[in-house]
Amino acid sequence: MSESCGNPNVESEAVMPRKAKFDKGKTCVKCKENPGNLVIRHAVYCKDCFGPLISSRFRHALEPHINATPSGPRRVALKPTGDLLVGFSGGLGSTVLLDLVHHSYLLKVVANVSKGGKAHPRNNERVWKNVRACYVEIADAFPGMKDRIEDVRAAVGRYDGVEFVPVRIQDAFDPTWWEKVSGKPAPPLGLDIDLSDEDVRISSSNSDSTPISALHSYLRKLPTPTAVHSTISTLIRILLLYTAHATTSSHLVQGTSLTSLSINLISSISQGGGFVVPQVTQEEWFPRTSPAPTESATARRSVRVIRPLRDIGMKECAAWAWWNQLPIAGKQKVPVSRQTIDDLTKDFIVGLEKDFPSTVSTIAKTVAKLAPKGDAGDRCVMCELPTQRSAQEWKARIAIRSFTAPDPSTTLSPATSLSPLLCYSCHTTLTSRSSRGAIPAQTGMPVAGPPSPLVPLPAWTVAHLAAPADTLEPHGCSPSDSTREGEQHGEVWEAKKLSVDDLRTLVGDFMLDDDS
Amino acid sequence: MTDSQVLNLKVEFGGGLELLFDKKRSHRVALPSPPSSPPDAAKKTPADINFLIHWLKDNLLRERAELFIENGTVRPGILVLVNDTDWELEGEGEYVLQEGDEIVFISTLHGG
Amino acid sequence: MPSKTCALCHSARPILKRPKTGQQICKDCFFKVFETEVHNTITEANLFRTGDRVAIGASGGKDSTVLAYVMKTLNERYGYGLELFLLSIDEGITGYRDDSLETVKRNQEQYDMPLKILSYDELYGWTMDRIVSTIGRKNNCTFCGVFRRQALDRGASALNVDHIVTGHNADDIAETVLMNIMRGDIARLGRCTAICTQGEDTIRRSKPFKYAYEKEIVMYAYFKKLDYFSTECIYSPDAYRGHARAFLKDLEAARPSAIIDIIHSGEAFEVKQEVKATQKLQQTCKRCGYMSSNELCKACTLLEGLERGLSHAVITDRARQKLDAEEPPSQAMRTIPYFNLPRAPGVTS
Repeated sequence: MSESCGNPNVESEAVMPRKAKFDKGKTCVKCKENPGNLVIRHAVYCKDCFGPLISSRFRHALEPHINATPSGPRRVALKPTGDLLVGFSGGLGSTVLLDLVHHSYLLKVVANVSKGGKAHPRNNERVWKNVRACYVEIADAFPGMKDRIEDVRAAVGRYDGVEFVPVRIQDAFDPTWWEKVSGKPAPPLGLDIDLSDEDVRISSSNSDSTPISALHSYLRKLPTPTAVHSTISTLIRILLLYTAHATTSSHLVQGTSLTSLSINLISSISQGGGFVVPQVTQEEWFPRTSPAPTESATARRSVRVIRPLRDIGMKECAAWAWWNQLPIAGKQKVPVSRQTIDDLTKDFIVGLEKDFPSTVSTIAKTVAKLAPKGDAGDRCVMCELPTQRSAQEWKARIAIRSFTAPDPSTTLSPATSLSPLLCYSCHTTLTSRSSRGAIPAQTGMPVAGPPSPLVPLPAWTVAHLAAPADTLEPHGCSPSDSTREGEQHGEVWEAKKLSVDDLRTLVGDFMLDDDS
Repeated sequence: MTDSQVLNLKVEFGGGLELLFDKKRSHRVALPSPPSSPPDAAKKTPADINFLIHWLKDNLLRERAELFIENGTVRPGILVLVNDTDWELEGEGEYVLQEGDEIVFISTLHGG
Repeated sequence: MPSKTCALCHSARPILKRPKTGQQICKDCFFKVFETEVHNTITEANLFRTGDRVAIGASGGKDSTVLAYVMKTLNERYGYGLELFLLSIDEGITGYRDDSLETVKRNQEQYDMPLKILSYDELYGWTMDRIVSTIGRKNNCTFCGVFRRQALDRGASALNVDHIVTGHNADDIAETVLMNIMRGDIARLGRCTAICTQGEDTIRRSKPFKYAYEKEIVMYAYFKKLDYFSTECIYSPDAYRGHARAFLKDLEAARPSAIIDIIHSGEAFEVKQEVKATQKLQQTCKRCGYMSSNELCKACTLLEGLERGLSHAVITDRARQKLDAEEPPSQAMRTIPYFNLPRAPGVTS
């Protein structure tokens, strides 16, 4: 049911307005002299004005957030409390970002004192003590994928003053890496989770696997291609954040263009991440197992995550890269067999952007007017983003999975189920299956023996689970709060266990064959 | 035999598209004139970018046509420059090519 | 290897796989789980009180037929104590609504519910056929949408009903969330996941099927052998809703929980306080009393345009005032009757 009458004889309502490609003619709107070279969302710019326009948008998105207290539009001395880490994937956005960072902060800028004005503070001293570029290599997750650390090292090496920090995706499952970045000893035992039902039961791990085999095991048992894609993104996210923390960086910047931002927003919303849409744009993060929230942000070593290209579309990035002759290494593509939610969203948004260029900015602007509804609970042990209270209870209410009431004798204690500690999206990633049922074949993955539904947990998740129960979060929930404990007990959903084999059955549509 | 007007063009590929075209970024193209729609040669069909796109697909593209062309034009996410200018300012696919023009196709999607 | 027994009752042979959860279940368990989930949706949101008079917005399409059946079933099974009515709107499109109106009349007999059919003709003096022949095919869907929305309220008012339920399902809600983000409609975005909406001057409207998958509604109708029409997606490729719908279907194929996940996202955010403050305030239309953002509500504005024979019938306030200055509207011009709520507004849920 909709506002349309459904009458096939008439046009539908809400036809999107098709504006002319550009508004006022072909002359640059900025200098009003030169003929235009590029159309950016209905406005025409010449090549000479394009460069400064992009630099200025980049700085306007970043500089108000450099000082610990956001400085707004006033021009003040830029004094970040730590170093700068550039998250570098090799893609178009990352490449343009690194170039802009170098262009704005690492090239020597001669103060134009002849104009008689006060020399801009930035001209006289470096804003950032150290600038590093962190690249996460995912090739070891997918046999046959080309390792590009040396290619990326060379790409980053083109810029003086940028230190290259490579990380490998399997470090997520490496206790040694965890100890290095967190400064805390790793828990002695690993932990496994059971992916066969909604509870996501935790058990002690008795396997002695290497980080690579742990990673393979994890990815192989995820229920959908979308889950594989999301997981890689989450692992990269945490690896970057803790690398920033370990290198005393106060800021982490990523090359997310306006186009990519819209894609990420819609993709996140489509995976149940509505509660954390503000963080998709900008985030203030500190490790989940921090000493105490009463310490200042500096002592907590929080990292501000910023996307300075968020007002710059993909098209402008391509033009910048071309006109500045920047070589693009390219972003590695996660090789999964069927389309993921992320791929579908990208095709959808890029397709819309072609004919309706203002779509991406409308999406970003609309979401910027939204705030999370309700209180946040502890942060997710997997992705460290805020969780909503009662997300699990909501899920259980929406879809009935069993008619039998939970048996008190088998009610799981909070310590054995991971579900209450996960945000909605991460829980969905681990448990939501595709209608085809079969676990998608991952290319090159060796399948040995009868598949067990157990997978190992990443190092930080294990650490968070091992942390004492009175880890305080600044949202104001304390362990003595009986409501919280009650919720944890009440939220545990007693579900009928379905074996992995059941779910792997390939059934045409939803009807089963009579001859079973 | 009608005189075959050939347009000499420089065609470049960026953003990963070069991998589809012999892994070469820069190409010199001698574009033949398109066949006239009615057989009478009085009114010649001009060689526009739409024609070039199809010609490139048939003659220069080595693999994965769907990454370059879709629904008769370039795939969404490909920026096209004509003599360093956005093709949107020059009439997009209907821009009539001239001798010595430089056309650039840059993908914003192809991550490599 | 498929299950030998239903995942819910563990005894019967499973004959279908539930789109929502992927569980393999038998037919009876499917009915039970589908109906129980709707019941839970209703009780969780405290939608009704005993003695409520509830109109089912019925168009004869699959959703409303199933809605009427389920509402009747649940009303009896759980003793909601509701008086149920079928309310159908005849837009006056020859050959199109005729079949669905026949279905609704059949439903009236089958479910033993009073039926009220309200036509655009009796309400506004114009059928859609006449509107289209007057203004052509552009913008007529705007008319229809506005007219139909008011018609439901007016029909409900004529029946002296407290509450309207419509068959909006999970797919519809998810699609609307996406569409409102794409269009930048922040006002609608803030409201679209609410299960029950009520303005000061409108009757309460609820969507009991809010969490029901469209595929499951179709399945339910199929197995229960309920009368229904399969409505094709007729949206032209140019409409936002068409795009959003196609995208949603792709997402569902990639991961069926996407529909529910989008609704969850929609419920997890709200409009920022400082943005709410800048939104347009609601007034009442000075001609017909319906809720409006301007002096005259949309329906009255459109109708006036039709009556005055304007070539582009959608006129703005300013244009109308200018026109009034030149030539005031004749007293004989048809207008929409003044709208009164049947009783004082009930308690908002």
